[in-house]
Parts: sequence; structure tokens; C-alpha cells
Amino acid sequence: MTAAVEARGVERRYGSLVALADLTFEAEAGEILGVLGPNGAGKTSAIRVLTTILAPTQGTFAVGGVPHTRPAEIRRRIGVLPESAGYPERQTGEEFLRYHARLYGRGRAEAAAVAVSLLDEVGLAERGRSLVSTYSRGMRQRLGIARALVNEPQVVFLDEPTLGLDPAGQRQILRTVRRIAEERGATILLSTHLLAEVEETCSRVLILNRGRVAAHGTVAEVAAKAAAPRTGRLAVPPGQADAALRALAAVAVVEASADGRPGLIAVRLTSGDSMNDAVRAVLDAGVTLLSSELEGARLSDAFLAMTEAA
Amino acid sequence: MRRVALVALLLLAAAAPAHAVAGVAVTNDRTEITTKIGRHVIFHSRIANRGNAPVSGLVAHLNVVDLTGRTYVDPEDWSSHRTRYLAPIPAGGSVSLAWPMNAVNAGTIGLYVAVLPRTGPPVRPATSPTVRLRVLDRKTLNSGGILPLALGIPAALGLLTLGVRRSRQGG
Amino acid sequence: MLVVLGQELRDLWLGGRGLVLTFAFSLLLSVIAYLVATNHALNFLEHRETVNLLLQVAIAVGSLLALLTAADTVSGERERGTLESLLLTPVSRLALAAGKLLGSLSLWAVALVVTVPYLWFLGRGVGLVGDALVTGVVVGTLLAVFLASLGFLISVFARSNRVSLSLSLLLLLTLFVPTQLPSAAQQGWAGDLLLRLNPITAGEHYVGKVVTSAHPWSEDLSWLVSPFVCAGVFAALALLAGARFVRLGGGAAA
Repeated sequence: MTAAVEARGVERRYGSLVALADLTFEAEAGEILGVLGPNGAGKTSAIRVLTTILAPTQGTFAVGGVPHTRPAEIRRRIGVLPESAGYPERQTGEEFLRYHARLYGRGRAEAAAVAVSLLDEVGLAERGRSLVSTYSRGMRQRLGIARALVNEPQVVFLDEPTLGLDPAGQRQILRTVRRIAEERGATILLSTHLLAEVEETCSRVLILNRGRVAAHGTVAEVAAKAAAPRTGRLAVPPGQADAALRALAAVAVVEASADGRPGLIAVRLTSGDSMNDAVRAVLDAGVTLLSSELEGARLSDAFLAMTEAA
Repeated sequence: MRRVALVALLLLAAAAPAHAVAGVAVTNDRTEITTKIGRHVIFHSRIANRGNAPVSGLVAHLNVVDLTGRTYVDPEDWSSHRTRYLAPIPAGGSVSLAWPMNAVNAGTIGLYVAVLPRTGPPVRPATSPTVRLRVLDRKTLNSGGILPLALGIPAALGLLTLGVRRSRQGG
Repeated sequence: MLVVLGQELRDLWLGGRGLVLTFAFSLLLSVIAYLVATNHALNFLEHRETVNLLLQVAIAVGSLLALLTAADTVSGERERGTLESLLLTPVSRLALAAGKLLGSLSLWAVALVVTVPYLWFLGRGVGLVGDALVTGVVVGTLLAVFLASLGFLISVFARSNRVSLSLSLLLLLTLFVPTQLPSAAQQGWAGDLLLRLNPITAGEHYVGKVVTSAHPWSEDLSWLVSPFVCAGVFAALALLAGARFVRLGGGAAA
């Protein structure tokens, strides 16, 4: 089956500055692909190239099966929420969506119906006739997502959709993103720096660093690839914390430190089985072990490892 | 004595300019025109060559003069085509010129056409009789009517602007 | 293109900016018309000259409004962050450019309509209404097309909206400078050539000859060559630039 998005060796230069180098990946139909990277990694450049705003300096790509040499056709099949999207302050939300629907070739009546339906879908039905200038940041982002859906796209590119939103707003946006993928079957490329949300929302992740692909795969694959050390926590009675720390100091595969809360000790394990060694050492020292927790390898750990090391 | 008189006559003849446009007569089709301020009028002049030889290199010029002493006259305002360079006129032939005029100010204006050669010794031009142009005053501008317009249009546009803004903000 | 034009008109006129500018324009015309109309010493030619003045002001300000609106089209959208959304649609760049350019010309069209009652009032006493209107439509439209196209061109390539607006105004002022030259400087072949080549001065000259000096329309038609050529050439350049060079980033490259 043809991938929804395919990139092969895509490069984008600005003079001598290489914003993207050898970008190669695939996004399958219906999946949510998280695009991660630190500032300046090339996420926005990648999205702008794939959405035909910028031409690649080298390489090829296809979106929805359409090669990059037919940009107008690609634009018909995609929806985009740009990172720095602005909105016309003197239009209402409904007018804005109606206009863009008409730009995609819909008639007046159809465009009006699409606008009303999309406003309802993103939770702006009651504010559709208000001027965009009265919208909050979160409302504007939702309006932007609605605009990205106006042509019923096969592939949706969302560049930092939660930027500048409070946690509640972020959750709302991500719920909308999941719903779009589930109900519409669209492929979503979600560029964000919120790692926890990528872990929750995305089926696969693409990590960019300095214009290059640092990792690509499922969250678990990417986390494992980094061979990030695992972490855990041991709970002991507060009065026995020092004894526990002394016991753990003798275990070579464990780095222990007080967690800050009385009786809680954070451990950093340098090998897969060293939690057992840590527990045994504490018990052998006569310390009462109240509980132990082992945390899985986090995407954030992998992300930091890959982007700091390069 | 008769010799002295003859020499004197010859000297006088040499001193007085010869009528180089001798044989050229200028006539107008009208002697009086009455009109109102702001109107256009036209009169025609005929320059006839009554001599036995063709005449060339002539220029005709329209002069505009205030006859009352009270009206400001800038000839350029009254007619912007006051100088015409004529083609050669054969013996016995003539040329007709039209003089379009703007009645710029109220008053009595004298118009006459002078025809003179472009080259040669200085000569008295041939001139036409004067055309009396009487321009009657009329009010071309009703100043009383301006206020409704000057206030009304901005007021209407201002109200429209406010109305549109209110309806947009209330939406 | 019609969809883009329709939205541009809505943004300009329902969004409010167009109406505010037109209101200010009508105030200016009202002041001029009132001062002229209440001058009882006005002789006939001065009356013609005031009709000429009103018409020249209407043409100058109307085409200025078109220029400034056009200068905001691309660079303004870029700064407000709304350009990217438009570039992401399947609408051709040429259609975008044409729609925006025509939208900016609506300022001139409305200015012309607003001028009509003033011209009628001032010109009816001297039988000038028809001549003034036709001359105003022809010359004003040519100059508005030229200036709007110029503003649009600058907007495509300017790095910021402020640069676009400033440069547009500067060029307009430069084009108006020869109108202030003393008449001695305007004589001779060099002065004549300068006045004829400059579409602003050429248009102003033509209007003056028809309205003030009551020349027939055909007598000074050669003065309309420059406005006509500039309107055509710059409109073509604006559409070409819009089709090929409208990018997310201003300046030479995105």
C-alpha cells in the first residue's frame, strides 16, 4: 500500500545553511506521526517543504500518492495548521472558514454548510459569528485546525498546535487531533515539543536534530534505541533513608539519591536487572522496604539523549 | 523750391514704413456679440489678398481688450489659440479663420485681428474692425446649495461607517 | 480570482478600513467645495480652475488610496501571518494577485463615485460636468491602475510592511515633485519630455487642458500615452510578480 507521506533524501538549503538534510521517512495512512526536535531542528522546514510552501533543494517526496512535482494537486489533498498561523482579525470564524472552503472550489451554499459543521466539530459553534479578534489563543488554534480540515484532507500537518496553550487547552487540542484521526481516517503529522503528549497520541515518532533524522519508529522502538538508563523509586521509613542510601552505594549498577521527599529514594539503573540488586541490598541492610517502582524507558529520555549527544 | 519739396517727399516716403501687407484686408463676420459669462462664442475672420501677387509668411493674431477699464482681461483666459500662421494666399484669394472664445468675465471686450508678415522690414499690420463682445453676468455657482452637500455626504458616509462597525462587532 | 476579489472587497469595506478612508476623503472634498462655492468673487476661469482643482485632488487622493491599499496586500498578509494559509490553497498565485490588485482598485472606484456630486455641483454652472467626469474617469483610472500595480509590486518584494508602505509613498512623492517645478523649468524640450514621461504630470496636464482651457479631448491625447503605457506595463509586471514571486518570506528569497 502506498504510504500517505513518503520522503526520500529531501534537502532544503537557505544559501549555505542546511535546514534539512537527507530527510527520509514514511507515514502510513491513518497513523499519527509525531515530529519531534529541539528548536532549529528543521521541523517547520520539513513541514513547509512537504506542504509545498518551500521547494526542496534536493530529494523527492510524495503526499497522498502525488509526487512533489505537482504541488497544486498536493495542496488539494492536505490540510495544514502552520506554526505561526495568523488569522484575519476583522473576519468572523464562519467567514474565515467559508472563504477557505470556497478557495478549495466549493460553492457558496456548500462552503457555508462546511463552515458551520467544522465550527461545531472543533467546539466553536457558539462563537462562529464573532470576530476572530475576540478569540482566545486556544480558540484560534481550534479555528486553525478547522481550516486545515475544510477540504477533507487525506493528510493533515499540524505544526505546534498546542503552542502557547495552558494544559487544559493542550489536552483539548490533542483530543481533537485523536478524534480527527479516528473519525476521518486522515494521516496526521503532528509537530510538537510536548513529549508526554506524543507518547499518548502518536503511533510513531520522527525525531529531527539539526536538520537530520535522529530516530524514526514507534515510541518504544525509539526509546529502546537510545538505550536510555531506566529509573525507579524506593520507599523506606524516613528514619532509615540514610541506611538505605549507604546500602545502595555499594551496589555498582545503581546510582541512588534522596528524592527530596522523606523516605523516598530515586534510583538510576545502569542495567536491566539492577533493580533486583538494589532491592536485595536494601533488605540485606535491615531496612524496611515499603515499596519499589520501576519506570519504563521514557521518550523524553530518548529525545534528550539523541538531541544532546549529536 | 519744387526740388526741395520733391527731395523732402522722397525722404519722407523712405522714412515712413511701406504697407507690406498692402492688398491684405481683414474682415469679421460680426461686429457685435452678446453672451453670458461661462459661454463659448465663435466669430470668423476673412483675410483676403486683393493684390496682384500671392502673399505668404503672414501671421494673424487675435487681440482682446477691455473696453470698460473695469474688467480684468488675461487674453490667454479668453482664447488659447490667438496666433495663427497662415498658408500662402494666392492673388485674389482669401482664407477664413475661426476664433473660439470663452466668456470669462462680465463686461465689454473689444476683439480685433491683426495680420502682419513674419519677416521683412517693420510694417503696419492689417487689422480688422473691432468686434464688441458684451458678456452679461450670471451666477455660475449657487453657494447656498453647497452646505447640504458638504455636510451631507460626509455625514452619510460617517453613519454608514459606524453602522457597519457596530454590526460587525455585535456579531 | 473572483472568490479572492470578493473576500478582499468584504475585508476592505465591511472590515471598515475602506469606509473610514472614504469618509476622510469626502471631508477633504467637502472643505474644498465649500471654500470654492462661498467665494463670491470667483470669476469664470477661476471657477473652471476650481473644478479642475477638485478633480485633480480626487484623482490624486483616490489613486493614493489605491496605492497604499495595494502596498499592504502581500507584505501585510505576510506580517499578519495570513499569507501562508492562502499559499496552502490550490488557488493559483496569479489568481491571488489579480484578486488582490482589483480589490485595491475599489478604493479608486468608490472615491470616483463620491466625487460625482461635488463635480456636479461645481461644474454645472460652467457646463463642465460631462467633460470633467469623463476626463476624471479615464485619467484617474489609468493612474490608479499604475499606482496600485506599483504598490503591489513593492509589496511582493518588500521585507516588511513598513518598508512597503514607506517606499510606495516615497515613489509617489517623487512622481509628484515635477508638478511643483516653476513654469520656466517646465519649458523647453527637456521639461516637456519630463512632464510627458511622468504619468502623474502627464495626466494632470491633460485634465487641466480639457477642464480649464476647454481644449477638445483629441487635442492633447498625446499626453495620455505615458499614463496608458505605465498602467499597462506595471499591471502586467504586478501580475507576473504575483504569479512567480509571492513567497512566505519577503525580499529576494524565502
